[in-house]
Amino acid sequence: MPPKGLFRNLGRAFSRDTATDSTPTQEELGRVPGAELSSRLDPWWWLVAAVAIIIILLVVFQSDPYLNILLFVRDGLAITVLLTIASFVFIILVGLIGGLGRISSNPFIHLVATLYVEIARGIPLLVQLIWWYFAAPVVIQTIGRLLHISALANYQSNAIFLAIVGLVVCYGAYMSEIFRAGIQSIHKGQTEAARSLGMSYMQSMRHVILPQALRVVLPPVGNEFIMLLKDSSLVSVVAVADLTRRGREFMATHFDPIEVWTLVALLYLIMTLFAARLIAWLEKRRTFER
Amino acid sequence: MAETIIHLEDVHKYFGPVHALRGVSLDVQMGEVVVIMGPSGSGKSTLLRCINHLEVYNSGKIIVDGILLKSAQNINIVRREIGMVFQSFNLFPHLTAMDNLALAQCVVRKRDRKEAKETALNLLAKVGISEKAEYYPGQLSGGQQQRVAIARALAMNPKIMLFDEPTSALDPEMIKEVLDVMLALAKEGMTMIVVSHEMGFARAAASRCIFMDEGQIVEEGTPDKFFSSPSQERTKVFLSKVLQI
Repeated sequence: MPPKGLFRNLGRAFSRDTATDSTPTQEELGRVPGAELSSRLDPWWWLVAAVAIIIILLVVFQSDPYLNILLFVRDGLAITVLLTIASFVFIILVGLIGGLGRISSNPFIHLVATLYVEIARGIPLLVQLIWWYFAAPVVIQTIGRLLHISALANYQSNAIFLAIVGLVVCYGAYMSEIFRAGIQSIHKGQTEAARSLGMSYMQSMRHVILPQALRVVLPPVGNEFIMLLKDSSLVSVVAVADLTRRGREFMATHFDPIEVWTLVALLYLIMTLFAARLIAWLEKRRTFER
Repeated sequence: MAETIIHLEDVHKYFGPVHALRGVSLDVQMGEVVVIMGPSGSGKSTLLRCINHLEVYNSGKIIVDGILLKSAQNINIVRREIGMVFQSFNLFPHLTAMDNLALAQCVVRKRDRKEAKETALNLLAKVGISEKAEYYPGQLSGGQQQRVAIARALAMNPKIMLFDEPTSALDPEMIKEVLDVMLALAKEGMTMIVVSHEMGFARAAASRCIFMDEGQIVEEGTPDKFFSSPSQERTKVFLSKVLQI
């Protein structure tokens, strides 16, 4: 019995008459050659599967020490994921504001945005994180004492909060540049068309430019997300009990560096691989005919 | 006496050291179709773009629909009354033809979505592509895209339509379908300023032809007089070159 449906769909995808004469439905657009479900199972999924299987095999068949390590670091794993996602939401916001500031025609806004970008990306992330954790609370307390604001004078540093601030400030600068480039890559005629229809600057940004820029910036933004996930391990230096810090704590009591750091490395790897797949999926979804 | 809807008085425009418009004065009455011709770099497009403030003029006076174009607040109000059609269409590629027409209606005119879609469908039918409503610009031919662009401008119910070389980026066989739409629009009494070298369109639809060179209006007149007996030497030279083709 030949698979009739398949042949019919192939015929539809390649026959010009039916494709151009009738309005294509979403379902039909999904049958464009090359976009079938099977092609989404590309070799990268095998890598994800392989890493997952290695982790499972280690944990199941070598449960001492791998299961013990996994159980010990699982709260660190949660912190790493939450820290990354929470920071990323704010990084997108800061990047959007910073990117718009960088292309602003107002010289003051432009100057502020440019200074921010140049300073924040010119200092190592680790140094910034240490500054926010050790120096910033003292600065806040001093200001509180000088201005007699007791809430500030008695400020107690919160490690996770300050780590998020550090990540957002640093990565927000990179993100600003990505958004700036994305917005500038959209042809000037798009703004002109939107403005000539009577839209304000903000309306044309929101409805015309940003939806198109988003498609352009998705690959570099996804890249930033993966880098952030990895760089979040730096917060282990400033008293945040993330995956890396929990791994170090386990090693300090059990003295088995090979097992601990192999598992921690594999855990980071599986997270970044999944993130990469997610981004690839988003990219595919957001394409449109040009 | 018809009402003057666009009034330009001694308008100058500089691009850095380039003096693009050198004292242009022009009055356009309600319902007039003005066709502007001239060699490239003569300031035709700049003039058009000054009228809806896509370019900011340096000195002189431009009054559109009784509003002096100077302060920023006025601009968006004036632009609602002026439809603009570009050489390169500038449709929004991430939106379907339908949504291209509906977007500004919803955002600027604050129409609800249903009403905007109705207007959009009517206009797409008017320009003869209602069956392409759900297509994206990238799936349409150049002529179809330009017709969508005209419909998009019309959806805002403008009092004036500006056309900046609307057929220059089109294949010859697609030019006619766009010109037909423009001709129908002119017959309906729309006030139009068209930068174009389509002599056929100028003869059929224009109430006035204008020849520009080096940032100045060199000659203007009815199409009959303009094509048959131009008074300026520069116009004659230009027309002889263009009409040879």
